[in-house]
Amino acid sequence: MDLLLQVLINGILQGGLYAIVALGLALVWGVLNIVNLSHGAFIMLGAYISWYSFQWLHLDPFVGLPLTAVLMFIVGYAVQRGILNLIVRSPMFNTLLITFGLEVVITYLAQLVFSADFRTINPSYSGHNITALGVTIPVVRLAACVMAIVLTLAMWYFLLHTRLGRAIRATAQNLSAARLYGVEPRHLYAVTFGLGLALAGAAGGLYGTVSQINPYIGATLTAKSFAISIIGGLDTPLGVIAGGLILGLIEALTALYIGPTFADVASFGVLVLVLIVRPTGLLGRTA
Amino acid sequence: MKTWRLPLIAVVLVALALLPWYGSDTMIQFGISTLLLAVLAQGWNIIGGYTGYPSFGNSVFYGLGAYGVGIAMVQWQLPFAVGMVFGVVLAVVFAFLLGIPVLRLKGHYFAIATLALAQIMAAIVSNVPLAGQNIGLVLPPLNNDRMFYELALVLLVAATLTVWWLTRSRFGFGLIAIRENEEGAVVMGVDTTRYKVLAFALAGVFSALAGGIQAYWITFLDPGSAFDITLNVKMIIMAVFGGPGTILGPIVGSFILSAISELLSSEVTSIAGLFFGIVIVVAVVLMPRGLADVVRRFHRLGWRYFVDNIRTNRI
Amino acid sequence: MHTLFRHGLPCAAVALALGLGSGASEAAGNEIVLGASVQLTGPVANTGRYYNDAYKLAVDQINRKGGVTVGGKKYTLALKIYDNQSDVNLSVRQYTQLVSQDKVNFLLGPFASNFALADSAVSEKYQIPMVQGGGASDQIFSRGFKYVFGTLAPASDYFSSTIKMFKQLKPQPAKVALLYADDAFDVSVAKGTRPLLKDAGIEPVLDERYSSNASDFNTLLSQIKSKEADAVLVAGHETEILNFIRQAKSLNVSPKLYSFTVGVPSEDFRKALGKDAEYAFGMTAWLPSETLKDDWFGDAAQFAKSWGAQYRYEPDYHAASGVADVEALVKAIEKAGTLDPKAVRDALAASDFQSLYGHIKFADNGQIHLDQTVIQVQNGKPAAVFDGDKFLVQAKYPMPDWSKR
Repeated sequence: MDLLLQVLINGILQGGLYAIVALGLALVWGVLNIVNLSHGAFIMLGAYISWYSFQWLHLDPFVGLPLTAVLMFIVGYAVQRGILNLIVRSPMFNTLLITFGLEVVITYLAQLVFSADFRTINPSYSGHNITALGVTIPVVRLAACVMAIVLTLAMWYFLLHTRLGRAIRATAQNLSAARLYGVEPRHLYAVTFGLGLALAGAAGGLYGTVSQINPYIGATLTAKSFAISIIGGLDTPLGVIAGGLILGLIEALTALYIGPTFADVASFGVLVLVLIVRPTGLLGRTA
Repeated sequence: MKTWRLPLIAVVLVALALLPWYGSDTMIQFGISTLLLAVLAQGWNIIGGYTGYPSFGNSVFYGLGAYGVGIAMVQWQLPFAVGMVFGVVLAVVFAFLLGIPVLRLKGHYFAIATLALAQIMAAIVSNVPLAGQNIGLVLPPLNNDRMFYELALVLLVAATLTVWWLTRSRFGFGLIAIRENEEGAVVMGVDTTRYKVLAFALAGVFSALAGGIQAYWITFLDPGSAFDITLNVKMIIMAVFGGPGTILGPIVGSFILSAISELLSSEVTSIAGLFFGIVIVVAVVLMPRGLADVVRRFHRLGWRYFVDNIRTNRI
Repeated sequence: MHTLFRHGLPCAAVALALGLGSGASEAAGNEIVLGASVQLTGPVANTGRYYNDAYKLAVDQINRKGGVTVGGKKYTLALKIYDNQSDVNLSVRQYTQLVSQDKVNFLLGPFASNFALADSAVSEKYQIPMVQGGGASDQIFSRGFKYVFGTLAPASDYFSSTIKMFKQLKPQPAKVALLYADDAFDVSVAKGTRPLLKDAGIEPVLDERYSSNASDFNTLLSQIKSKEADAVLVAGHETEILNFIRQAKSLNVSPKLYSFTVGVPSEDFRKALGKDAEYAFGMTAWLPSETLKDDWFGDAAQFAKSWGAQYRYEPDYHAASGVADVEALVKAIEKAGTLDPKAVRDALAASDFQSLYGHIKFADNGQIHLDQTVIQVQNGKPAAVFDGDKFLVQAKYPMPDWSKR
């Protein structure tokens, strides 16, 4: 078995999952210019929804993704319409603060309601794997990775080639002009944020099958989403695929060649480097 | 400056300084925590409030200060004062080395970069054997809350005097110019890079000193506690709630928010966090320019002040 | 006017806080209050809860059997427990609060070495004895602190019986992988395990430290597979080990033997893994045997029965250790004949009695010494396999491939 090849495959599988983790954040940030520091907390909520669907309704986590997505969409619409719409035109700093505040509130409520114990979603096929080319590929990770890429491509298509997608992009680029065309911005912003959270929810459901769920995973997931969005670039949803793969590979290779405790240093290090050297990201158009 | 302001401040100061003699043990401990948080808020005020660069990573200076004291006292058996100096040196070096590239970023990119830097430091420190890696360090126990309290109070006074000096010095005007219109400031001949880095370093110095005091007082530090992300939130919301870009705003903000948080804590320990979150959301929507601004304009506008805030900022 | 308001605010805040502080609670007349900050929620709450339950059961039983007699006067025991949410910093603040605001008489410890390491600084600072049964790391006891005592056997010893067992297994494990989390306990375990392996003539093929609460072991498992390790020793936390075993299954990694410092003795852990828990090795310094006699519970077997009846789950060595802490304090208080912290501390240092947990006697550094018995999950239950010298039952070795289970 080729160790390097196995580690690279591990990294790629993780990277695919990372893409969907970041997608919701990148969408809302790139299109609405809302930097959502509570993104990870919503992923965590989505994971819990999937967990409960699995426990109570015996819904397979992959099959149950649409349910989680719809529920989170409603939450997102409400949050944007009720809270975030109120500060859209104030300095960016306020968005950062308010979403940070949301993160704190959601995490504490989750801890109160769900308790701090760890949970996992374990469908019957969770230990299965495929062996190919001397490499072992866990089935669940592969499925999550594929699903992630599918969703990202779907979002890319939606934004660029559908009417609603174009309306969303138009509103974000020029509010007054969009209004002249009959767009209701408050509704559209809420729809977009709802989409962002729906994606976060889906990411949560996938994440829960591969890793553990507890109320505190939000902060790390938000941090990774930032890294991925910036590394990949916010100009296109496809950026998260590039960013996710790079992050997944960096973490796997760092763990192999330097040590497992250095993974965070590597991922944040790359984030800062990209910010300093090429802030628009790998797939971004240079300003 | 109105004539009765100064005596009032003096009275408050004396009352605070004498607290260890008439307050209970718990009060003194609450006092130390609050004073240190106020120092952090005041430090943030320099880079975030006056210069307009909202740093979400000042916890990195706090952590460096804490580790400076920790390493000096535990690994090298040096006295506390030396540890504090060492912590400050670490913070200043960091501010210059990493401040220069990072301060080129604007707005929220700067915020994210500072947040990432704080995470990197925490991750690096958890791998450094000298710092005790992820286990952290246990400092020699010292049971002298009175001393820590007075130290924290002195530090807060120093920080506040620095901010006051800023408001009437050329350096301070330069910072405000950067905040209001950076390109204009460059055109007017302000060396923006130097000023920004100096402001960053100044904020770092106070944060590091606060971290050093905390480390020795709590007797224990590890990467998680020293580089705690929630500290950033706390110091920012305290400064913003009280009034960023004012001299006493951050102090008022931290005293009030800490007092309420402590009240809630003694009932249910976890509610304090929830409370902060809600305060942030409410404050940002209703009073984004802080209590100072509310106080200034409320008696003219009444409740319409809050409605106006929302109306100007929403879509 | 508004500036008066503005400056009045800090004064008001101070006054408000003044009102808070004055209500310090004092212990009732003939009550001895034991204080602790325990992990009731958070990542390690699964084990932290054992201590909460242990302290409660012990205090109830001791009170039922007549309480504590100090200098001719009868006292009842009372508990004051805070939830530190698995946050070390919060636990330090809570212990400070227990001592300075709640004014408890003595302290019981938290679970986990990193907590005990930090919290014992508080007991040392205020010179109030703390008996803790949750921290085994050598670091806790190498600082020359006088006020902390520990009822967990030293971390460095945890794998010693397991490695002695290697010699008697056929085929003897030759390639060993050592993995450990980066917290106080697990680092201590690894530090102690290396010389033990060296003495047994084994050079580890993998010796890696990983971040606490890590959830991704894919790279480490891939390395274990590629180096064809026979035995894997993991010093970590329950949730990490759960992840490890699950990922081992999905990456098809099955060494001949794997042994973990936590998890195997605990019912939750075996239930969470179901069939996948089979064949896992662990260790325990305590088994619910009738030979361990106790003044309040009769013997360890009876204790296990009372525990099960009260809490509906089986106790493990953490539970017994927690009970032993309370018993040690009570015995020391009665021996000292006073509630003075210093006198009780001296009595604790001289402890020497039999309990359901074993022989309670602290070494000069404050830590107990007990031998570890190797256990293995066999048919869903933990079986005592090797006692350091000989096999008690046959070990299920080597572990079959995942596909063949």
